[in-house]
Amino acid sequence: MSPDFISALLWAISMGLVGAVVFAAIGLVSGTDETATVAPLTLLVVLLGVPAPGVFTFFLAGVVAKHITHMIPTTLLGIPGDTMAVPMMREAQLLRELGVPHIALRKAISGGVIAAFIAVPFAVLFATLLTPAADAIGKAAPWIFLVVAAFIAYTSKGKWAAVVALVPFVLLIAGLQAFAVQNTGKSLSISFFLGIATGPLIAALFTTLSPGRKSMVRSGPREFSLAADVRTWKGRLPNPFSVLDRKQLAFTSGAAVVSSATFVFSPVAMTVLMGEVAGQRIKNGYHRLTSVIAVRNGTTESTYIAETLIPLIALGLPLSPLAAGPAAPLFNAPPVYTVNAETGETNNLHNLLSTWEFLGFGLIAVAIATLIAYPFAMTHAHRAASWVMRKVSHEAIIGAFIGLIIVISLYEGGVVALLVTVSVGLIGGLLNNAFHVHSGVQFMGFYVAILSVPQILALVG
Amino acid sequence: MTRLLEVWGDTVDSRHLAVSVGIGVVIPVPVFLIAEQFFTANVENPALGKSYALLAGLVGCLVAALVAGRLFKPKRVVRAQDVVDEASQRAALDAIVAESGELGDPGDLAKPIQDELHALGLYDVLLADHRRRREAAALEEQAPATGSIQETDPETPDAAYAQGHGK
Repeated sequence: MSPDFISALLWAISMGLVGAVVFAAIGLVSGTDETATVAPLTLLVVLLGVPAPGVFTFFLAGVVAKHITHMIPTTLLGIPGDTMAVPMMREAQLLRELGVPHIALRKAISGGVIAAFIAVPFAVLFATLLTPAADAIGKAAPWIFLVVAAFIAYTSKGKWAAVVALVPFVLLIAGLQAFAVQNTGKSLSISFFLGIATGPLIAALFTTLSPGRKSMVRSGPREFSLAADVRTWKGRLPNPFSVLDRKQLAFTSGAAVVSSATFVFSPVAMTVLMGEVAGQRIKNGYHRLTSVIAVRNGTTESTYIAETLIPLIALGLPLSPLAAGPAAPLFNAPPVYTVNAETGETNNLHNLLSTWEFLGFGLIAVAIATLIAYPFAMTHAHRAASWVMRKVSHEAIIGAFIGLIIVISLYEGGVVALLVTVSVGLIGGLLNNAFHVHSGVQFMGFYVAILSVPQILALVG
Repeated sequence: MTRLLEVWGDTVDSRHLAVSVGIGVVIPVPVFLIAEQFFTANVENPALGKSYALLAGLVGCLVAALVAGRLFKPKRVVRAQDVVDEASQRAALDAIVAESGELGDPGDLAKPIQDELHALGLYDVLLADHRRRREAAALEEQAPATGSIQETDPETPDAAYAQGHGK
């Protein structure tokens, strides 16, 4: 083994561990949206100069671990751990009322682990099938981004309102970019990402200072009832294969394979759909609930893995809802990773890692996340949920996030960048609240402004 | 007037929030700016110097979180739910039937799933409920035209809600 390889491997393992631990902890905190947490922290890791294998395993082990521990608040407290946990709320609630929340948790996380291991090799396979078309896709990228942006907007809850809202949003970005270039001499991108990712928070903070605050007032603290967690096994921790029965294994694996191929669709939509398909084929009520929750959580893992890996391996361009969201910094994080707006040339993980490295490091990342988060969720779910609810104040989390947003903006371009982040965050957050133009649509809007708009202007002459 | 607000998915006290955001600015930002000055002056590679400053800023954020966490307690009431509530159990069974057709005889399930239900103490609950429903259905057949038809909603609420969170 060459020293280079050993160094890459050490980076991959150590950063995978960091990602798994950090995001397993974040998963416990309910409502921590993936884009708002994964994108800024991954960006930080890229900017700090961590080598490509470490960046990749940090991200992948992070999302896999988060989608294991996000089931803890979802099943034991009845509040979604994050956006991807929302489609499992109903099953989790019914199983909780039946008195078996711990079974909901174990079925879901076992489904997640199995789907994650299946998704990595299948995503690599589908990516290699797509690779021959990569050149053509790369050349047509500015137009593809335009079409995909409209598609993602139309398939969001905002429908046509989201499609039309893209126009002023793209203009806003183009205008702010021109302002930034004029005043700092360089174009910005991190600040735009950060504003989009944390828009809902920024808009909410503005609302607390406005008359709209009335709608936020609560008469008392939020009440939660924390379900008991029962250990039903003796001796060694049960492995995911023994937690699920044969039918559940088959459905979970099948859903993982199918959802690995459909990398341009919304992960939430795929998660809902895969659960419905499995649910319709199972008659018994109890068996249906436990199967659907396993299949759905498995799909949260497989969509996240495939929607990141396929565009990374085959294209290098962020052409999936995930790539234009939580995984955005793996594609574009100047000055470290770049996508050239004029030529479409890339210098990011696509160029820095080979297909085999994606496969190998991907499996390492999933293994690390499983080793950290699965035993933790199986044995300490109740205590962890209780500790977070009683000790971690929401005020402290928001305060630290605001600090992080300011520091990263200042890092990219001083006060001008900070103003850009706040502007994009406020407008983007309001578009999200008022018209359901979610962050995925806005990320695509950013790429349309950077890649497609110059081409359109050139055509118009 | 109450100072409790719902912000970004959880309840906060508006004054505590303002102070926490203040701490989030006052600690990390000066740390970053001073570190940036120091490292760009003392590290040869300017990009690396800026990365060190960023790391210092991140540490500042963590310190800010710890300080605010120390000062302010969460605005949540957590109750332990240790006993299974039979009424909510029955409501859940009704909801399962209403949303997706039938509960089914647990005796029809494969052996491992039956074992799982026995271990959970749910087997007898499900069996009793299944029998009760079958008897009720039989009674309704004997006395036609008086029974009410239970309507089922084809669109489950969670699916409709989740679609909105387009990701």
